[in-house]
Amino acid sequence: MNPRHHLDASTLIGYSAGALPTGFSAVVATHLSICSQCRARLLDADRIGGLLVGQHDGAALSDGARADILARIAAAEGPQVAQLQTAASSDRLDPGQLPAPLRPYFGATYSALQWRMIGPGIHHIRARNVADGHLMLLRIAPGRSVPMHSHGGNELTMVMQGAYDDSLGHFAAGDVADLDCDVEHQPVTSPGVPCVCVAATDLPLRFSGWLARTLQPLFKL
Amino acid sequence: MMRLVPAALKVIPFNAKGRVISRPHTAADDAHYWAEQAAGIAARQDIACFIRIYDHYAPRLLRYLLGLRVDAAQAEELVQESMLRLWRRAESFDPNRGSLSTWLFRIARNLYIDGRRREPAGRLVQEDVESLQIQEEDCNGGTVENQADHAGLARAIDALPAVQARLIRMSYLEAKSHSEIAAELEMPLGTVKSNLRRAFARLQAGLKGHS
Repeated sequence: MNPRHHLDASTLIGYSAGALPTGFSAVVATHLSICSQCRARLLDADRIGGLLVGQHDGAALSDGARADILARIAAAEGPQVAQLQTAASSDRLDPGQLPAPLRPYFGATYSALQWRMIGPGIHHIRARNVADGHLMLLRIAPGRSVPMHSHGGNELTMVMQGAYDDSLGHFAAGDVADLDCDVEHQPVTSPGVPCVCVAATDLPLRFSGWLARTLQPLFKL
Repeated sequence: MMRLVPAALKVIPFNAKGRVISRPHTAADDAHYWAEQAAGIAARQDIACFIRIYDHYAPRLLRYLLGLRVDAAQAEELVQESMLRLWRRAESFDPNRGSLSTWLFRIARNLYIDGRRREPAGRLVQEDVESLQIQEEDCNGGTVENQADHAGLARAIDALPAVQARLIRMSYLEAKSHSEIAAELEMPLGTVKSNLRRAFARLQAGLKGHS
Protein backbone atom coordinates (compact mmCIF):
# COMPACT_ATOMS: atom_id res chain seq x y z
CA MET A 1 0.00 0.00 0.00
CA ASN A 2 1.05 3.58 -0.44
CA PRO A 3 -0.64 5.55 2.27
CA ARG A 4 -0.66 9.31 1.86
CA HIS A 5 -0.94 10.27 5.51
CA HIS A 6 1.81 8.97 7.76
CA LEU A 7 2.89 8.82 11.38
CA ASP A 8 4.27 11.97 12.93
CA ALA A 9 8.00 11.80 13.73
CA SER A 10 7.27 12.38 17.42
CA THR A 11 4.94 9.36 17.41
CA LEU A 12 7.57 7.21 15.71
CA ILE A 13 10.11 8.24 18.33
CA GLY A 14 7.66 7.35 21.07
CA TYR A 15 7.04 3.94 19.51
CA SER A 16 10.74 3.38 18.92
CA ALA A 17 11.47 4.15 22.57
CA GLY A 18 8.68 1.84 23.75
CA ALA A 19 7.06 4.80 25.49
CA LEU A 20 3.67 4.91 23.78
CA PRO A 21 0.52 3.85 25.62
CA THR A 22 -0.73 0.39 24.62
CA GLY A 23 -3.52 1.60 22.32
CA PHE A 24 -1.25 3.97 20.39
CA SER A 25 1.32 1.24 20.08
CA ALA A 26 -1.30 -1.02 18.49
CA VAL A 27 -2.36 1.64 15.95
CA VAL A 28 1.26 2.44 15.11
CA ALA A 29 2.04 -1.28 14.64
CA THR A 30 -1.01 -1.57 12.39
CA HIS A 31 0.17 1.25 10.16
CA LEU A 32 3.73 -0.11 10.13
CA SER A 33 2.38 -3.47 8.97
CA ILE A 34 1.25 -1.88 5.69
CA CYS A 35 3.60 1.11 5.24
CA SER A 36 7.18 0.45 4.13
CA GLN A 37 7.93 4.18 4.22
CA CYS A 38 7.16 4.42 7.94
CA ARG A 39 9.05 1.18 8.61
CA ALA A 40 12.14 2.77 7.08
CA ARG A 41 11.62 5.87 9.26
CA LEU A 42 11.19 3.63 12.31
CA LEU A 43 14.52 2.02 11.53
CA ASP A 44 16.11 5.48 11.61
CA ALA A 45 14.46 6.13 14.97
CA ASP A 46 15.67 2.74 16.22
CA ARG A 47 19.22 3.62 15.21
CA ILE A 48 18.99 6.67 17.43
CA GLY A 49 17.70 4.47 20.25
CA GLY A 50 20.34 1.82 19.62
CA LEU A 51 23.11 4.37 19.74
CA LEU A 52 21.82 6.13 22.88
CA VAL A 53 21.21 2.90 24.76
CA GLY A 54 24.64 1.62 23.67
CA GLN A 55 26.35 4.80 24.90
CA HIS A 56 24.46 4.87 28.16
CA ASP A 57 25.86 3.33 31.33
CA GLY A 58 24.36 -0.02 32.16
CA ALA A 59 22.55 -1.28 35.25
CA ALA A 60 23.83 -4.32 37.12
CA LEU A 61 22.04 -7.58 36.52
CA SER A 62 21.39 -9.92 39.43
CA ASP A 63 24.22 -12.18 40.56
CA GLY A 64 22.93 -15.32 38.92
CA ALA A 65 22.12 -13.75 35.55
CA ARG A 66 25.33 -14.69 33.76
CA ALA A 67 25.19 -18.31 34.91
CA ASP A 68 21.52 -18.39 33.96
CA ILE A 69 22.10 -17.20 30.39
CA LEU A 70 25.00 -19.64 29.96
CA ALA A 71 22.76 -22.49 31.06
CA ARG A 72 20.08 -21.33 28.67
CA ILE A 73 22.32 -21.13 25.65
CA ALA A 74 23.79 -24.54 26.54
CA ALA A 75 20.26 -25.92 26.53
CA ALA A 76 19.30 -24.07 23.37
CA GLU A 77 19.72 -25.80 20.07
CA GLY A 78 22.43 -23.37 19.12
CA PRO A 79 22.40 -20.79 16.39
CA GLN A 80 19.69 -21.46 13.89
CA VAL A 81 19.03 -20.20 10.46
CA ALA A 82 16.26 -17.73 11.03
CA GLN A 83 12.98 -18.95 9.70
CA LEU A 84 11.53 -15.67 8.63
CA GLN A 85 7.89 -15.71 7.90
CA THR A 86 6.85 -13.76 4.90
CA ALA A 87 3.20 -14.69 4.68
CA ALA A 88 2.03 -12.02 7.09
CA SER A 89 4.15 -9.35 5.46
CA SER A 90 1.71 -8.67 2.67
CA ASP A 91 1.90 -4.89 3.08
CA ARG A 92 -1.79 -4.54 2.43
CA LEU A 93 -5.02 -4.59 4.37
CA ASP A 94 -7.04 -7.78 4.13
CA PRO A 95 -10.77 -7.19 3.56
CA GLY A 96 -11.74 -10.10 5.82
CA GLN A 97 -8.99 -10.31 8.45
CA LEU A 98 -8.06 -7.66 10.94
CA PRO A 99 -4.45 -6.50 10.82
CA ALA A 100 -2.34 -8.76 13.06
CA PRO A 101 -1.47 -6.10 15.68
CA LEU A 102 -5.19 -5.57 16.42
CA ARG A 103 -6.17 -9.21 16.80
CA PRO A 104 -5.25 -9.47 20.50
CA TYR A 105 -7.81 -6.75 21.16
CA PHE A 106 -10.60 -7.37 18.69
CA GLY A 107 -10.24 -10.90 17.34
CA ALA A 108 -9.20 -12.08 13.89
CA THR A 109 -12.04 -11.30 11.50
CA TYR A 110 -14.30 -8.38 10.72
CA SER A 111 -17.30 -10.68 10.42
CA ALA A 112 -17.01 -11.77 14.07
CA LEU A 113 -16.95 -8.21 15.44
CA GLN A 114 -19.80 -7.35 17.75
CA TRP A 115 -20.55 -3.76 16.97
CA ARG A 116 -22.50 -1.56 19.35
CA MET A 117 -24.52 1.29 17.95
CA ILE A 118 -23.74 4.56 19.65
CA GLY A 119 -25.65 6.88 17.34
CA PRO A 120 -27.33 6.96 13.95
CA GLY A 121 -24.96 5.24 11.53
CA ILE A 122 -22.15 5.03 14.09
CA HIS A 123 -21.00 1.81 15.72
CA HIS A 124 -18.06 1.12 17.92
CA ILE A 125 -16.19 -1.55 19.85
CA ARG A 126 -13.93 -0.67 22.68
CA ALA A 127 -10.93 -2.84 23.55
CA ARG A 128 -11.43 -3.96 27.12
CA ASN A 129 -7.90 -5.01 27.88
CA VAL A 130 -6.26 -1.61 27.51
CA ALA A 131 -5.45 -0.06 30.86
CA ASP A 132 -3.68 3.12 29.76
CA GLY A 133 -5.94 5.19 27.52
CA HIS A 134 -8.50 3.94 25.04
CA LEU A 135 -8.41 1.80 21.92
CA MET A 136 -11.52 1.40 19.81
CA LEU A 137 -12.86 0.43 16.44
CA LEU A 138 -15.36 2.78 14.82
CA ARG A 139 -17.65 2.03 11.92
CA ILE A 140 -19.38 5.00 10.39
CA ALA A 141 -21.98 4.71 7.65
CA PRO A 142 -21.14 6.21 4.27
CA GLY A 143 -21.76 9.90 3.73
CA ARG A 144 -22.15 10.77 7.39
CA SER A 145 -20.53 13.42 9.48
CA VAL A 146 -19.01 12.65 12.84
CA PRO A 147 -19.64 15.31 15.48
CA MET A 148 -17.16 18.13 15.70
CA HIS A 149 -14.65 17.25 18.35
CA SER A 150 -11.28 18.21 19.73
CA HIS A 151 -8.93 16.30 21.95
CA GLY A 152 -7.70 16.93 25.44
CA GLY A 153 -4.63 14.88 24.64
CA ASN A 154 -3.53 12.93 21.60
CA GLU A 155 -5.52 10.93 19.11
CA LEU A 156 -4.21 8.49 16.55
CA THR A 157 -6.60 7.05 13.98
CA MET A 158 -6.04 4.72 11.07
CA VAL A 159 -8.58 4.05 8.34
CA MET A 160 -8.93 0.36 7.52
CA GLN A 161 -11.91 0.39 5.18
CA GLY A 162 -13.76 3.18 3.38
CA ALA A 163 -12.61 6.78 3.63
CA TYR A 164 -13.39 10.17 5.11
CA ASP A 165 -12.61 13.81 4.50
CA ASP A 166 -12.01 16.59 6.98
CA SER A 167 -10.21 19.92 7.00
CA LEU A 168 -6.89 18.04 7.01
CA GLY A 169 -7.56 16.17 3.77
CA HIS A 170 -8.82 12.88 2.39
CA PHE A 171 -8.10 9.79 4.47
CA ALA A 172 -8.39 6.40 2.79
CA ALA A 173 -7.50 2.86 3.87
CA GLY A 174 -4.00 2.76 5.34
CA ASP A 175 -3.84 6.47 6.14
CA VAL A 176 -3.28 7.66 9.68
CA ALA A 177 -4.49 10.88 11.25
CA ASP A 178 -1.89 11.70 13.87
CA LEU A 179 -3.49 14.63 15.63
CA ASP A 180 -2.24 17.19 18.10
CA CYS A 181 -4.32 18.08 21.07
CA ASP A 182 -5.53 21.40 19.72
CA VAL A 183 -6.97 20.17 16.42
CA GLU A 184 -10.74 20.40 16.15
CA HIS A 185 -12.13 18.44 13.27
CA GLN A 186 -15.35 17.09 11.81
CA PRO A 187 -14.78 14.07 9.59
CA VAL A 188 -17.33 13.29 6.85
CA THR A 189 -17.27 9.73 5.53
CA SER A 190 -17.13 9.09 1.78
CA PRO A 191 -20.11 7.63 -0.05
CA GLY A 192 -20.14 3.93 -0.90
CA VAL A 193 -18.91 1.71 1.91
CA PRO A 194 -18.82 2.30 5.66
CA CYS A 195 -15.65 3.78 7.05
CA VAL A 196 -13.96 1.45 9.55
CA CYS A 197 -11.21 3.01 11.67
CA VAL A 198 -9.11 2.06 14.64
CA ALA A 199 -8.47 4.90 17.04
CA ALA A 200 -6.39 5.41 20.17
CA THR A 201 -6.79 8.31 22.58
CA ASP A 202 -5.00 9.09 25.79
CA LEU A 203 -7.52 11.49 27.20
CA PRO A 204 -11.28 11.71 26.74
CA LEU A 205 -12.46 13.36 23.55
CA ARG A 206 -14.49 16.51 23.92
CA PHE A 207 -17.52 16.52 21.70
CA SER A 208 -19.32 19.73 20.95
CA GLY A 209 -21.77 18.42 18.36
CA TRP A 210 -25.20 16.89 18.24
CA LEU A 211 -24.20 13.44 19.44
CA ALA A 212 -22.39 14.76 22.43
CA ARG A 213 -24.76 13.42 25.04
CA THR A 214 -24.76 9.96 23.49
CA LEU A 215 -21.03 9.73 22.97
CA GLN A 216 -19.66 11.37 26.04
CA PRO A 217 -20.41 8.55 28.49
CA LEU A 218 -18.48 6.18 26.24
CA PHE A 219 -15.40 8.28 26.59
CA LYS A 220 -15.88 8.60 30.33
CA LEU A 221 -16.49 12.35 30.33
CA MET B 1 14.80 16.02 35.82
CA MET B 2 17.18 15.00 33.15
CA ARG B 3 19.95 12.62 33.93
CA LEU B 4 23.29 13.36 32.39
CA VAL B 5 24.72 10.60 30.30
CA PRO B 6 28.46 10.48 30.88
CA ALA B 7 29.06 7.82 28.25
CA ALA B 8 27.59 10.06 25.58
CA LEU B 9 30.25 12.64 26.25
CA LYS B 10 32.92 10.21 25.17
CA VAL B 11 31.77 10.40 21.58
CA ILE B 12 34.04 12.41 19.30
CA PRO B 13 33.31 16.09 19.84
CA PHE B 14 31.45 17.67 17.00
CA ASN B 15 34.07 20.31 16.32
CA ALA B 16 36.98 17.91 16.52
CA LYS B 17 37.56 18.12 12.79
CA GLY B 18 41.12 17.41 11.82
CA ARG B 19 42.10 16.20 15.24
CA VAL B 20 43.65 12.76 15.12
CA ILE B 21 41.31 10.27 16.71
CA SER B 22 43.62 8.23 18.88
CA ARG B 23 40.93 6.80 21.12
CA PRO B 24 40.71 3.06 20.61
CA HIS B 25 36.94 2.96 20.32
CA THR B 26 35.22 5.49 18.16
CA ALA B 27 31.58 4.86 17.37
CA ALA B 28 32.58 3.33 14.04
CA ASP B 29 35.26 1.09 15.54
CA ASP B 30 32.76 -0.06 18.13
CA ALA B 31 30.24 -1.04 15.48
CA HIS B 32 32.93 -3.05 13.70
CA TYR B 33 34.12 -4.72 16.89
CA TRP B 34 30.65 -5.81 17.93
CA ALA B 35 29.80 -7.03 14.45
CA GLU B 36 32.85 -9.31 14.66
CA GLN B 37 31.67 -10.75 17.95
CA ALA B 38 28.24 -11.46 16.49
CA ALA B 39 29.88 -13.08 13.48
CA GLY B 40 31.78 -15.36 15.86
CA ILE B 41 28.52 -16.60 17.32
CA ALA B 42 27.01 -17.18 13.91
CA ALA B 43 30.06 -18.88 12.42
CA ARG B 44 31.24 -21.12 15.26
CA GLN B 45 28.90 -20.77 18.21
CA ASP B 46 31.67 -18.94 19.98
CA ILE B 47 30.70 -18.59 23.63
CA ALA B 48 33.51 -16.13 24.35
CA CYS B 49 32.09 -13.79 21.69
CA PHE B 50 28.65 -14.19 23.19
CA ILE B 51 29.91 -13.38 26.67
CA ARG B 52 31.67 -10.23 25.42
CA ILE B 53 28.43 -9.01 23.91
CA TYR B 54 26.44 -10.08 26.94
CA ASP B 55 28.72 -8.36 29.43
CA HIS B 56 28.61 -5.14 27.45
CA TYR B 57 25.02 -4.97 26.26
CA ALA B 58 22.94 -6.87 28.84
CA PRO B 59 23.41 -4.16 31.50
CA ARG B 60 22.62 -1.46 28.94
CA LEU B 61 19.45 -3.18 27.80
CA LEU B 62 18.50 -3.63 31.44
CA ARG B 63 19.00 0.05 32.09
CA TYR B 64 16.84 0.88 29.07
CA LEU B 65 14.04 -1.45 30.23
CA LEU B 66 14.15 -0.10 33.77
CA GLY B 67 13.70 3.33 32.18
CA LEU B 68 10.45 1.98 30.74
CA ARG B 69 9.43 1.29 34.33
CA VAL B 70 9.38 -2.45 33.87
CA ASP B 71 9.84 -4.08 37.27
CA ALA B 72 13.36 -5.38 37.92
CA ALA B 73 12.69 -9.11 37.64
CA GLN B 74 10.67 -8.75 34.47
CA ALA B 75 13.22 -6.40 32.94
CA GLU B 76 16.00 -8.88 33.58
CA GLU B 77 13.92 -11.67 32.03
CA LEU B 78 13.44 -9.54 28.89
CA VAL B 79 17.20 -8.96 28.75
CA GLN B 80 17.87 -12.70 29.02
CA GLU B 81 15.29 -13.42 26.36
CA SER B 82 16.85 -10.82 24.04
CA MET B 83 20.29 -12.33 24.55
CA LEU B 84 19.00 -15.84 23.94
CA ARG B 85 17.61 -14.55 20.68
CA LEU B 86 21.04 -13.18 19.80
CA TRP B 87 22.52 -16.62 20.42
CA ARG B 88 19.94 -18.44 18.35
CA ARG B 89 19.55 -15.96 15.56
CA ALA B 90 22.99 -14.38 15.21
CA GLU B 91 23.04 -15.46 11.58
CA SER B 92 20.20 -13.14 10.73
CA PHE B 93 22.24 -10.16 11.89
CA ASP B 94 23.93 -8.58 8.87
CA PRO B 95 26.82 -6.37 9.98
CA ASN B 96 26.74 -4.40 6.74
CA ARG B 97 23.19 -3.31 7.27
CA GLY B 98 22.98 -2.05 10.81
CA SER B 99 24.85 -1.93 14.09
CA LEU B 100 24.54 -4.68 16.67
CA SER B 101 23.47 -2.02 19.13
CA THR B 102 20.45 -1.13 16.96
CA TRP B 103 19.64 -4.80 16.37
CA LEU B 104 19.65 -5.61 20.10
CA PHE B 105 17.71 -2.47 20.93
CA ARG B 106 15.00 -3.47 18.45
CA ILE B 107 14.79 -6.99 19.83
CA ALA B 108 14.48 -5.80 23.43
CA ARG B 109 11.94 -3.09 22.53
CA ASN B 110 9.87 -5.49 20.41
CA LEU B 111 9.86 -8.12 23.14
CA TYR B 112 8.75 -5.46 25.61
CA ILE B 113 5.90 -4.22 23.40
CA ASP B 114 4.99 -7.78 22.53
CA GLY B 115 4.86 -8.82 26.18
CA ARG B 116 2.76 -5.85 27.14
CA ARG B 117 0.31 -6.58 24.37
CA ARG B 118 0.06 -10.20 25.38
CA GLU B 119 -0.27 -9.57 29.08
CA PRO B 120 -3.96 -8.62 29.37
CA ALA B 121 -5.09 -11.77 27.59
CA GLY B 122 -2.44 -13.83 29.35
CA ARG B 123 -1.50 -15.90 26.34
CA LEU B 124 0.99 -15.90 23.55
CA VAL B 125 -0.48 -14.70 20.31
CA GLN B 126 1.19 -16.14 17.26
CA GLU B 127 0.67 -12.95 15.29
CA ASP B 128 2.84 -11.09 17.75
CA VAL B 129 5.71 -13.40 17.03
CA GLU B 130 5.19 -12.99 13.32
CA SER B 131 5.07 -9.23 13.46
CA LEU B 132 8.22 -9.24 15.55
CA GLN B 133 9.95 -11.30 12.92
CA ILE B 134 8.78 -9.07 10.12
CA GLN B 135 10.21 -6.09 11.92
CA GLU B 136 13.51 -7.82 12.47
CA GLU B 137 13.59 -8.80 8.84
CA ASP B 138 12.96 -5.20 7.92
CA CYS B 139 15.79 -4.15 10.15
CA ASN B 140 18.17 -6.04 7.95
CA GLY B 141 16.40 -5.30 4.73
CA GLY B 142 16.06 -1.55 5.09
CA THR B 143 18.43 1.17 4.12
CA VAL B 144 22.07 0.31 4.56
CA GLU B 145 23.66 1.72 7.67
CA ASN B 146 27.39 1.62 7.32
CA GLN B 147 29.88 2.55 9.98
CA ALA B 148 30.24 6.09 8.70
CA ASP B 149 26.49 6.54 9.19
CA HIS B 150 26.87 5.36 12.74
CA ALA B 151 29.57 7.95 13.41
CA GLY B 152 27.54 10.60 11.59
CA LEU B 153 24.58 9.91 13.85
CA ALA B 154 26.76 10.11 16.95
CA ARG B 155 28.03 13.51 15.80
CA ALA B 156 24.52 14.68 14.94
CA ILE B 157 23.30 13.76 18.44
CA ASP B 158 26.14 15.76 19.98
CA ALA B 159 25.37 18.70 17.72
CA LEU B 160 21.66 18.91 18.59
CA PRO B 161 20.47 22.12 20.23
CA ALA B 162 20.28 21.58 24.00
CA VAL B 163 16.48 21.42 24.17
CA GLN B 164 16.22 18.91 21.36
CA ALA B 165 19.00 16.74 22.79
CA ARG B 166 17.25 16.73 26.13
CA LEU B 167 13.90 15.75 24.64
CA ILE B 168 15.47 12.94 22.61
CA ARG B 169 17.27 11.59 25.67
CA MET B 170 14.17 11.83 27.84
CA SER B 171 12.25 9.96 25.14
CA TYR B 172 14.70 7.08 24.81
CA LEU B 173 16.47 6.77 28.13
CA GLU B 174 13.64 7.62 30.50
CA ALA B 175 10.91 6.51 28.10
CA LYS B 176 8.85 9.54 28.98
CA SER B 177 5.63 10.08 27.08
CA HIS B 178 5.33 13.41 25.32
CA SER B 179 2.72 14.53 27.82
CA GLU B 180 5.02 13.63 30.72
CA ILE B 181 7.90 15.53 29.13
CA ALA B 182 5.62 18.50 28.55
CA ALA B 183 4.53 18.49 32.19
CA GLU B 184 8.03 18.00 33.55
CA LEU B 185 9.58 20.76 31.46
CA GLU B 186 6.51 22.99 31.69
CA MET B 187 6.45 23.14 27.93
CA PRO B 188 3.33 23.01 25.76
CA LEU B 189 2.75 19.54 24.27
CA GLY B 190 2.82 21.01 20.76
CA THR B 191 6.27 22.48 21.43
CA VAL B 192 7.58 19.13 22.68
CA LYS B 193 6.37 17.45 19.51
CA SER B 194 7.67 20.09 17.12
CA ASN B 195 11.10 19.98 18.79
CA LEU B 196 11.16 16.20 18.50
CA ARG B 197 10.24 16.50 14.81
CA ARG B 198 13.10 18.92 14.22
CA ALA B 199 15.52 16.73 16.17
CA PHE B 200 14.49 13.69 14.16
CA ALA B 201 15.05 15.53 10.87
CA ARG B 202 18.54 16.58 11.98
CA LEU B 203 19.45 13.08 13.12
CA GLN B 204 18.15 11.54 9.90
CA ALA B 205 20.40 13.95 8.03
CA GLY B 206 23.28 12.81 10.26
CA LEU B 207 22.51 9.18 9.40
CA LYS B 208 22.72 10.00 5.73
CA GLY B 209 26.03 11.76 6.19
CA HIS B 210 24.75 15.32 5.76
CA SER B 211 25.40 16.51 9.28
